Amino acid sequence: MELFIQQLVSGVSIGAIYALLAVGYALVYSVYNFTNWAFDAFMAFGAFMAFVGISSLFMPFWLAMILSILLTILLSVGAESMAYRPLRERKAPRLFMMISAMGVNLAVVNIINLIFGGTFRKFPVESVQPIFVGNVSIGRMDLIAGLISFGVLALLWLFLYRTRWGLGIRASAIDIQTAALMGINNNAVAIIIFVITGVLSAIAGVFYGIKYAVYPMMGIVTIKAMIASIVGGLGSLPAAIVGSMLLGVLETLVSGYISSSYRDLFSFLFLIVILLFFPNGLMGKNVDEKL
Amino acid sequence: MGYINAIIILAGINIIAALGVAILTGYTGLFSIGHAGFMALGGYFSAILVKEFGVHFVPALLAGGLFAGLTSFIIGYPAFRSRLRGDYFAIATLGFSEAIRLILNNTREIGFIKTGAAFGYMNIPGHTNLWVVIGAVVLAIYFAHMFVTSQYGKNCIAIGQDEVAAQMMGVDLLKTKLLALFISAFYAGVAGGLLGFYFAYLSPSFFTITKSSDLLAAVVFGGIQSLIGPVVTAFILIAVPEVLRALAEWRLIIYGFLFVVVMIYRPQGLFGYVEMNLHFARAWWQRLRRPVAER
Repeated sequence: MELFIQQLVSGVSIGAIYALLAVGYALVYSVYNFTNWAFDAFMAFGAFMAFVGISSLFMPFWLAMILSILLTILLSVGAESMAYRPLRERKAPRLFMMISAMGVNLAVVNIINLIFGGTFRKFPVESVQPIFVGNVSIGRMDLIAGLISFGVLALLWLFLYRTRWGLGIRASAIDIQTAALMGINNNAVAIIIFVITGVLSAIAGVFYGIKYAVYPMMGIVTIKAMIASIVGGLGSLPAAIVGSMLLGVLETLVSGYISSSYRDLFSFLFLIVILLFFPNGLMGKNVDEKL
Repeated sequence: MGYINAIIILAGINIIAALGVAILTGYTGLFSIGHAGFMALGGYFSAILVKEFGVHFVPALLAGGLFAGLTSFIIGYPAFRSRLRGDYFAIATLGFSEAIRLILNNTREIGFIKTGAAFGYMNIPGHTNLWVVIGAVVLAIYFAHMFVTSQYGKNCIAIGQDEVAAQMMGVDLLKTKLLALFISAFYAGVAGGLLGFYFAYLSPSFFTITKSSDLLAAVVFGGIQSLIGPVVTAFILIAVPEVLRALAEWRLIIYGFLFVVVMIYRPQGLFGYVEMNLHFARAWWQRLRRPVAER
């Protein structure tokens, strides 16, 4: 029973990381109708910047985190203005945006690989004593990761639904042309969205790095976030969060009780089963391709 | 000479796999970043047939392709039925190929067949040589050309252009997409088989996401809705890194920047919308037959 509860807590904390990523994808997708494939590169970049901050610049953890978030925002907005904006202004097909994003991803991941090498590194945080609740030990980092992720998601919700800027973003998500006619600055919306994306990916990268390891290909975990958002149901933020939690918990249980080498296999089979029996995801409405 | 041979053989194998991706991505507009998975399936299947069951390698290659094609339905049917958006289909293929790699990485033996897990499947008979590859490439180009100019191919192009319009014109989306995926996986499977018979060895580490992005790169640079484009770029993308070994680490970085630059400045790729045909040869022949003074 203790083991089960421990797995559950660990699963929720990894689910929270997936939720950060899934929400980041959903945000870009809802406004621009393309998947920001560069997201996994941003995530690895964020983790590596925090890693450098702590291990080479001897920063405390929180400072390294802020550094990482700022630099990732720069990267994210830079990618937006150089790789996506020219295409958007030309009203290029979605396919082109996607390929362009894949290009950013390939370039950034491989530059990181060139500079740091492909080895797995342990994230330099001193291991702290887990907290004991009865006989259940809970990793402090799991707890912090979970709390901060939920905190960030709550802030994002407040921003989107309780501020004028959030209103502008939601209006753009419905119809970006009309929103522009109503006086919403499209480029400002783009910058805000990619700032948010940068923050989300940096936080997710740092916590994922702490939980597993820091390496250039670590961003491949964003597949899980996409699987989670398909499982939850496309096109809605709450569904993405629910899907992420479900995937995180189930996957941790599989690696705890069966074998950790089949964890990723499980997530994929889970996706196929969900698609076979719930073609629109667990909570999804029938979303067709937008014209 | 052996070195040039090797480059041509590897480039030929890459061309066959890239043709598969071209049919799926270039013509039907469905993105795959998981074709390495189909290559692995076809490669292992045909290698096992030849090594363990003594099948001749040509039927084994076809069987490997068929196996990859049939397996593609596992991912294709649920994905197309639920009308997964293009981007999410790409994720599904990526997940599929990673899953296959994981299974191969963790499978030491299937029954009496020692697939060797992460160490790789060894001592595959070496059947692939220059002529086999050239023959295979010619056949592959011929059949791909026949396919994309057939009614089925036109249906695929219609879907690639506009799915809803295609459906309104009576194109069966599910069937056509499944067919395109089947053929594309078949090509990848055959390419995987040739790879195994060339190296006499197969390892799950051949079939990573890097291989899939290489194939995608060939199609993106070569051009949408073109066969000749991916053929040319698939060859260049193998040959150039071989020649410029010093830049090996930079290869994927350069691809990445090129993706962005190509999309911004020449989104149709090198040969976008150029059909492969022999018109240029006919024109050249007619020019040659004219009297010298008129040339």
